[in-house]
Amino acid sequence: MAQSIIEAPIKVDASRKIIHVDMDAFYASIEEREQPAYKTQPLVVAHDPRTTGGRGVVTTANYVARQYGVHSAMPAAKALELCPKAVFKTPNFPLYREVSAQIHRIFHEYTDKIEPIAFDEAYLDVTTNKKQIHSAVQLAHQLQREIWEQTHLTCSTGISYNKFIAKLASDYRKPAGVTIVLPQDAEPFLWREPIEKFRGVGKKTVPKMHELGIKTGWDLYQQSELKLIQNFGKLGYILYRRVRGSDDRPVEYLRQRKSIGKERTFGPFLTSTEEVNDHLREIARLVAASMTSHQRHGKTLVLKLRYGDFVTITKRRTFGEFLPNDALVYYRYASEIFDAVVDDHLDSGVRLLGITLTGLAPLTFENLTLPLYPNEN
Amino acid sequence: MKFTINRSAFIKELNNVQRAISSKTTIPILTGLKLDVASDAITLTGSDADISIETTIPAVDDNNTLVVEAEGSIVLPARFFSEIVKKLPEDTMTVNVEDGFQTQITSGAASFTINGLDPENYPHLPEIDTTNTVTLAGDVFKELIGQTVIAVSTQESRPILTGVHFILKDGEFLAVATDSHRLSQRKIKLPEANNADYDVIIPGKSLTELSRMIGDNNPDVQMRLSENQVLFVLGNTSFYSRLLEGNYPDTSRLIPKESSTTVEIEAPALSAAIERASLLSHESRNNVVRFSVNPSDKTVTIFGNSPDVGEVTEQLQPAELTGDELEISFNPDYMKEALRSFGQAMIRISFTMALRPFTLVPTEDGENFIQLITPVRTF
Repeated sequence: MAQSIIEAPIKVDASRKIIHVDMDAFYASIEEREQPAYKTQPLVVAHDPRTTGGRGVVTTANYVARQYGVHSAMPAAKALELCPKAVFKTPNFPLYREVSAQIHRIFHEYTDKIEPIAFDEAYLDVTTNKKQIHSAVQLAHQLQREIWEQTHLTCSTGISYNKFIAKLASDYRKPAGVTIVLPQDAEPFLWREPIEKFRGVGKKTVPKMHELGIKTGWDLYQQSELKLIQNFGKLGYILYRRVRGSDDRPVEYLRQRKSIGKERTFGPFLTSTEEVNDHLREIARLVAASMTSHQRHGKTLVLKLRYGDFVTITKRRTFGEFLPNDALVYYRYASEIFDAVVDDHLDSGVRLLGITLTGLAPLTFENLTLPLYPNEN
Repeated sequence: MKFTINRSAFIKELNNVQRAISSKTTIPILTGLKLDVASDAITLTGSDADISIETTIPAVDDNNTLVVEAEGSIVLPARFFSEIVKKLPEDTMTVNVEDGFQTQITSGAASFTINGLDPENYPHLPEIDTTNTVTLAGDVFKELIGQTVIAVSTQESRPILTGVHFILKDGEFLAVATDSHRLSQRKIKLPEANNADYDVIIPGKSLTELSRMIGDNNPDVQMRLSENQVLFVLGNTSFYSRLLEGNYPDTSRLIPKESSTTVEIEAPALSAAIERASLLSHESRNNVVRFSVNPSDKTVTIFGNSPDVGEVTEQLQPAELTGDELEISFNPDYMKEALRSFGQAMIRISFTMALRPFTLVPTEDGENFIQLITPVRTF
């Protein structure tokens, strides 16, 4: 067997207790809760393709709709084709965000080491926890019950000693399941999993895996590290470790958001630079407020502009220093970018404007500013 | 149009004019260099609409060995023309506009023919009358530019702050720049300019280019004003810049009058220490250096860190230290640039409070030159 010249040792740290919490059909379940009649109907949370000219994707489908083969990320038009009698419900993101925040408050009763992946998914490191519960299984059951009592929503949890296995485990028994994978069971558990379940093995990688005869975790386990690296690069290196139960990634509870922004859609469309500037000023104000409330500042400003004919332009500008969280500064740069990119499409109107700040860092410092214009602010 | 000239004399002037020529301009003809040939001199002009530079090479100066055979004008593509001229083989060269705008450039056995443009299409430079003239010593003015232009804002969000504010009043010439985090102010006495009265904002970029042209050959710089342009005359060269429009903020009230802690130290020694501390602060997301003044043992401690790399401390013994204990944080890059503007001088740093701006002045002359830096608040 070919040996690679250098080999990084494989470390398996089985001392942690990590729970992956995955809300069951989150958006659809919230809609069912709000409107119980949906429970017996195939419900698809997406803009109705019949009213949008076929655009849009499925954000979530309830379990009834899933029986027709409808699943999330599928084009809404395809979902309609598979299930013509499905109910299409326009997503109500503010509501989902609110419920998500409510669930996070429950998480925080157990631990502050929470890594949110999406509104409906998070990792919790409960190795040590605020309730001093030694058994992670007991803790998971208690957490599920509390979420149910407070939100009337179910979730599935996966418990293990690393994030990779915990996530596979939460998917093992759904809905409302609790699955624990103990360190000694980790390898057999991973060997049984189909290769498609391994994170990073997506649409492009699956055929290549199958070509190499890798269909399960066991098949993957049989491969040499060198061969995996030769075929899959860095992913190969990672998979070689994952299938041996090694994943030292911490639960990144301090992980920062990558961007903060706001967009607005307009009906009727905006047709003049003056109107655009008025709205940019307003959006800049909201973004600055949001930046301040998140205690972040950023180095890159992105302007998003979508014309009536759906031609979309995003243009970014990066600065050497962090921009002050000042609506006027955001507005001026956004307006400058707009002037630089705006073209004949303006005749078809502007349907969407957005300002986003990226290159964020915690606002742990602030260079004080001379009061040059004392009458401002 | 036809002339013969000493190539190195021509190149020297060509280099100056080229400072104003940009290949990225919205007005295509401005990528060209304009040549105007009169019986006794040739004039070179370049412009990027913000800055225009015009220089004259007279025939009377024998070093130029200028011989004009036919008067006329042409605009030549600046980049090609300059590269050609610099690579020609002999000491002299001849430029001859033939039919239309075709221009032949010859030197020894080499002969180029390039396509020129119609000089009638080249923008006219403004007429600026000479009544409002102020004469500045070239070396002092160059120093003044170097000292103030560092504080000019590079962000376009407040365009007015990208310039240096010049006020000439009662025989005193004052230059101020600020990007709102720091401020630099320099005064020069100009007793002979008693009658002139200016209040203008000149783009920092123009001043930087101008200062590069002030050398030993230009002991004096003449400054003239029109409504929206300023003209600097350096010998045979005229440097035009647009002015920034708007009201510059009143900066006089920003400079603290009192202090509670002062430190006197050699600028280069402090600069070197700040430089070392910033090695780590630059690696950190917050580029901040902490500066502690300890009156008890008359020392100053500089601290920099990067969570990923490590930390640095350095203790300095200033020449003088008076007042209260203080701990203040600031952007080391602002400090380095300010310190550099003092050269080898001994400086006095005056603090009031941890979250108030502090000032740096040369101990020799605290009246006429001041750098102000705002601190950083850390959370």
